[in-house]
Amino acid sequence: MTEHIVTSFDDDLNEIDGLIRSMSEAASAMVGQATRALIDSDDILSQQVISEDAVMDARQRELDDKAITLIARRQPMAADLRAVVGAIRMAADLERIGDLAKNVAKRVSAVGETVAPRHYSQSIETMAEMVLEQVVSVIDLYGKRDVDGLRGLRTEDEKIDIQYTAIFRELLTYMMEDPRNITACTHLLFCAKNLERIGDHVTNIAENAYYVLTGSQLPPYRPKQDEMTSALAE
Amino acid sequence: MNDLAHSSAILGGRTTMTHDTRPAKMETKNLRFYYGDTLALKGITLALGDRKVTAFIGPSGCGKSTLLRVLNRIYDLYPNQRAEGEVLLDGRNILDRSQDLNLLRTRVGMVFQKPTPFPMSIYENIAFGVRLYERVSKAEMDNRVEEALRRAALWSEVKDKLNASGLSLSGGQQQRLCIARTVAVKPEVILLDEPASALDPISTSKIEELIDELKTEYTIVIVTHNMQQAARVSDHTAFMYLGELVEFGDTEQIFTAPRDKRTQDYITGRFG
Repeated sequence: MTEHIVTSFDDDLNEIDGLIRSMSEAASAMVGQATRALIDSDDILSQQVISEDAVMDARQRELDDKAITLIARRQPMAADLRAVVGAIRMAADLERIGDLAKNVAKRVSAVGETVAPRHYSQSIETMAEMVLEQVVSVIDLYGKRDVDGLRGLRTEDEKIDIQYTAIFRELLTYMMEDPRNITACTHLLFCAKNLERIGDHVTNIAENAYYVLTGSQLPPYRPKQDEMTSALAE
Repeated sequence: MNDLAHSSAILGGRTTMTHDTRPAKMETKNLRFYYGDTLALKGITLALGDRKVTAFIGPSGCGKSTLLRVLNRIYDLYPNQRAEGEVLLDGRNILDRSQDLNLLRTRVGMVFQKPTPFPMSIYENIAFGVRLYERVSKAEMDNRVEEALRRAALWSEVKDKLNASGLSLSGGQQQRLCIARTVAVKPEVILLDEPASALDPISTSKIEELIDELKTEYTIVIVTHNMQQAARVSDHTAFMYLGELVEFGDTEQIFTAPRDKRTQDYITGRFG
């Protein structure tokens, strides 16, 4: 887009953009590390993720402050207004992604203390890879102004939901096989749920980014597939 | 999608309807305006919604004030200025030679950028216009003056000094006096040419509040350089550039998601 007549307006917008990017990088790192810590039962890594969350919160507050100040001082219109309001909302989603990654990290020690076989978390690893890829690509697509890519991310989220339902059934089976698995599997189930929620936040970000770039909303989305529908089917 | 259909239909000049299905109060069709040999409006087609506020925005020299001046033919006061095409008021072409200009200007009133009270008392400022067109009793005139001043949200500030000079009022009060003067002759359309550009924020808010109230009875057109003001007070916004109507649509759409790049650049401050 062409530059503003007032160049400091561009500086302000770029600053907000930079914060979104750095929050996105931090969120990606947290999701990656939390899953790594879960798979490897790595307490040190999980502690690192937990402490990262405070940094994430601080960045979100900083972004909110800057966005509110920009609105007050510059009264942005049209694409600028959408970008600023969109940034506030995307930052909130990124911050939630950080929270959910922290929740996964907090369960690492609990899972580690149990006797559940290591392969129980293999499907979660696959799911985590799918989620991580989404978290990394959403802000990337936004930066490249790739509206088709953003629209496509919603379909990708469906795959994550399907994977989550599969994990739900799998862990349920382990628990029925041997009640000693219940503690570990319940923790793993919560972890899977957290990852699935991260996918939902990525979808929110994609929808927001789409609106910022195009000025129109994506049409309402499909009914959600989750463990409830699967449980009801049985 | 309705909005899109609406604005393209209006731009295409194929309809006389506005959003709420009330017929348009005023309409221009392929309107061209000349200052001597200079073409200042290059075929403007747009419809002004009945009892709606329409804002004209655009950089200096884009033709927005010219367009406003055509709507009550005030340009007729000057030689070498002429309009071609059609300007319909309730379906009748006001550019027609047979149009009674005094009658037209009672139906389409105008308020200018600089407050222009007459050098007479507050009371007379309003009574003067009424007397030009109507013969009314003293009691009736008192009522008309009070009603107009109330409409313009000025009554409580001037009711004890109606015989004081209009020029003794503050800028904001003078502008509201001019609006009262316009309202007193019971027009149908009110044209406002940057009515708040010389006023402080409080007086500006009072004018904007007034516009909100007046639009229940009058069709209002406002030319303004203040984008936020256009966004605040208007229902529809027309963006003009170099004598052309670039984009016309719901104010909400123009200021959140304009379709034309030139509109976008102008309202976001990117116009080079």
